[in-house]
Amino acid sequence: MRAFAVMVYRQLKRFSRARSRVAGMIINPLIWMIFFGVGWSGVFKDAKIFGGIDYLTYLAPGIFAMTVFNQSFISGVSVIWDREFGFLKEVLVAPASRKETIAGRIIGDSVVATVQGLVILLLTLLLTELRVAGILPALGVGLLLAVAFSSFGVSLATKIQSMEGFQMIMAVLMLPIIFLSGAIYPVSTMPWWMRLLAYINPLTYAVDGARNMLTGVEGIFPLSTDLAVLGFLALAFLGIAMFAFERSTIE
Amino acid sequence: MYAIKVENLVKKFGNFRAVNGISFKVKKGEIFAFLGPNGAGKTTTVHILTTLLKPTEGKAEVAGLDVVREAKEVRKKIGIVFQDPSIDRDLTAYENMLIHGGVYGLSGAKLREKIEGLLKFVELWDFKDKLVKHFSGGMQRRLEIARSLLHEPEVLFLDEPTLGLDPQTRDHVWSYIETMREEHDMTIFLTTHYMEEAEKLADKIAIIDHGKIIAEGSCEKLKRMVGNDVIYIKVENCAECFKGEFIRSCKVLQDGRIRIAVENTAEALPKIFELAKENGVKIIEATYHQPTLNDVFLHLTGREIRDEGGEFFRKAIARARMRR
Repeated sequence: MRAFAVMVYRQLKRFSRARSRVAGMIINPLIWMIFFGVGWSGVFKDAKIFGGIDYLTYLAPGIFAMTVFNQSFISGVSVIWDREFGFLKEVLVAPASRKETIAGRIIGDSVVATVQGLVILLLTLLLTELRVAGILPALGVGLLLAVAFSSFGVSLATKIQSMEGFQMIMAVLMLPIIFLSGAIYPVSTMPWWMRLLAYINPLTYAVDGARNMLTGVEGIFPLSTDLAVLGFLALAFLGIAMFAFERSTIE
Repeated sequence: MYAIKVENLVKKFGNFRAVNGISFKVKKGEIFAFLGPNGAGKTTTVHILTTLLKPTEGKAEVAGLDVVREAKEVRKKIGIVFQDPSIDRDLTAYENMLIHGGVYGLSGAKLREKIEGLLKFVELWDFKDKLVKHFSGGMQRRLEIARSLLHEPEVLFLDEPTLGLDPQTRDHVWSYIETMREEHDMTIFLTTHYMEEAEKLADKIAIIDHGKIIAEGSCEKLKRMVGNDVIYIKVENCAECFKGEFIRSCKVLQDGRIRIAVENTAEALPKIFELAKENGVKIIEATYHQPTLNDVFLHLTGREIRDEGGEFFRKAIARARMRR
């Protein structure tokens, strides 16, 4: 367990040090909230499709989930950096269990991503009418989401050989996952083929669950379904990442 | 007892044979240097011996354990300083040591004690709470050396330990390496493309080029391959050739100096002085030229070991850019 604890410590410590990086990561979702959100909320002033709440409040849980997703996925994939520039070799050459080490890293990164989500939630409290009581449970959803996508990122990273591949993945995967999650517009008004993609998108369940907890709006799925799907995916992806990392080489 | 035993090791990347059938043995407590130009297969060999790469063919044992079948056991016995920096730039020197210790299962007061001892050894204790990203290249390298010693490895691998360092820091690192060997009886496997480094530190040198070992032995033995030491002497009176069974050839040069080729300057020089005394010849000046390892490499390959520092800096710059 020592290697696991040490890796969690490493990720948290690195996060606490990189202040400018943290600020940069928070600015992006805030820009979405303020410029995109406030802009459209004027258009949607009388709209009924958001379950009886204003658009900004509807959007806030989506932006929260988007932030956690972005951070956790990128930190997972950034294992490539570690391979290119050292630290991965350092871990691979150590006698510690690789599964344990990478699990520690994933959990550490997930906590970091969830904390960033929390910062966004607290800032958006000023603009919206979120339920304060929903914040804590929503963080639980955020953590499951982060574990799932951080693990997914690690698994991808063990398969990608180059930086170009990394850029590709980011371009091809990240935006569609966000657009197809119901974070910025409802899944219910999508055409059937988009809705199909949304249903197989893990982010959809996080947005749905967090929105239900934070705004009280009835979700697409029951809360228990959201949590079950997320919990299952988090565990499954974590397992896959641990096995993929165990077998990874520096070739 | 051998610390490293390698037989017919081959590593192919696609069709390219990075390591092409090498064999060698390193005795316990020895400093063994792999000398060769960039791309000769040095790092690939280190990666195989440290269980990071699997060999395509052949066999390698480290600390008596097979690097493929007993990889996990091997990992407990080895330490490594990689060619590229592998420390956490966003953490302090102390935190880097703490994390490394944790990954190797160390903890508590014992770990803290060791960290203090080692950071003092590499003269970084005063900077223990500074972020590594503010360290100079030499300080980072010293920290990596300290880190690699934390779990008391039996065999230490140093991949180009002084690449890109200034001469003063290089001297520092060399003295650490010598101290480590003396105090801990550690076996050290070192790769380098600096002749002076191999010459200064290594008990035994293997010259590697294009994935093959082209010569192996002590520094003196290798130098003897290229031939003779040459002694030039200037005498006061009649310039005449010396005769003796240790003299391979002798010639009076146009400027009056005498050129004497011998097998070993250290042994021959006193003999020459004795001969001169016997014959009543007064020597005013004596100089000599000994072949260098560069001469050896030149002799074997027709090329020189070039100093290719450029790649290191390109990588360093690329890293700085990507790390945001």
